[in-house]
Amino acid sequence: MLDMVLTTGVAHLTIGNLVMWLIAFFFIYLAITKNYEPLLLVPIGFGILMVNLPLTYLMEEGEGLLWRFYHYGLEWEIIPPLIFLGLGAMTDFGPMIANPKTLILGAGAQFGVYVAFFGALILGFKIPEACSIGIIGGADGPTTIYTTVHLAPHLLGATAVAAYSYMSLVPIIQPPIMRLLTTEKERKIKMRQLRPVSKREKILFPLVTVLVICLIVPASAPLMAMFMLGNLFKECGVVKRLSDAASNELMNIVTILLGVSVGATMSAERFLKWEVIFVFIMGLVAFAFSTAAGIVLAKFMNLFTKEKINPLIGSAGVSAVPMAARVSQVMGSKADPKNFLLMHAMGPNVAGVIGTVVAAGVFLALAG
Amino acid sequence: MIDWGFAVKILFFGLSAVFSSLALLIGAIYAFGKILKHIEEKSN
Repeated sequence: MLDMVLTTGVAHLTIGNLVMWLIAFFFIYLAITKNYEPLLLVPIGFGILMVNLPLTYLMEEGEGLLWRFYHYGLEWEIIPPLIFLGLGAMTDFGPMIANPKTLILGAGAQFGVYVAFFGALILGFKIPEACSIGIIGGADGPTTIYTTVHLAPHLLGATAVAAYSYMSLVPIIQPPIMRLLTTEKERKIKMRQLRPVSKREKILFPLVTVLVICLIVPASAPLMAMFMLGNLFKECGVVKRLSDAASNELMNIVTILLGVSVGATMSAERFLKWEVIFVFIMGLVAFAFSTAAGIVLAKFMNLFTKEKINPLIGSAGVSAVPMAARVSQVMGSKADPKNFLLMHAMGPNVAGVIGTVVAAGVFLALAG
Repeated sequence: MIDWGFAVKILFFGLSAVFSSLALLIGAIYAFGKILKHIEEKSN
């Protein structure tokens, strides 16, 4: 009888497993009831649940189903570049091409990455770990995962969940910082309507970008090349089937595999550690500093430019597309209901994705 | 023991790469915008 009981998972449950179940249920609850990043939190939550079921050996090296997803999907660098292919096929770079100055805001918002990098070093993390924690400040989930898998795979669950959690909390985290760093008058600045961008410009953009970025930071090529390939699919207009597949079916499939694989890394023995709390704290610091740096840089640019930039669009330099741009729009329209900042904020928003990929490329090249 | 010199090097190279690549991209966007405009004007 006892032998029979011992073959069940019940006899092998630990307190850690139960705590992780609660975390899994919490993620699934947040996704379903609060709509926080549901496309990722549902599979991540379920992945956590699965990997914390005793005796299922789902993450057993060489055998487990989840291990195969994780190993061939993430360790073999398949999933994050495919996510970027889909993102490229869904991204409109028009607002950024119409006002290229806003690219600088996407660069400025990477300051938070380095603040968190040094913060993590001070807390005692090693350099590769600090790189993985810092990149959370870019607010780009796939880039965070890609960097962490290379540099600190044992932190993957913590950094991925921190990145996606903070991305979903953009409407809560950013507004107080935006109010603190801008005056009412600045929030009311109206920006001139963007010029129309021709189809030729949109087709040339991914080709030029992949050449420029990959020549300067070759380590960013897997993500950047796929990002721009997806965008070329979208803009060239002759491969609609590929563009649709990349932005719909393929994106959905890899999102499921990504979520489950990330959740699968969060077993009790790997996740319930003090260092995970530090990862979350530093991730928040990174996010806050990235937001602040984008706003301050926009104000600084206003000292030299004829046409003023509304500093609220600076905060959209953290990637979190399109949530951060929407927050800029909401804050701007609160100050003046006739103020429409959404398209202006999309420029730094998509520039932030490029900036984060470059920052990640440098981390991988130097610390990898 | 953390190699702070290496950490500062990462910061320096990282920020330089981010700003220089995006600045080059800005230049490239302005440049190909002008070239395309010129071509379109000619063809018209």
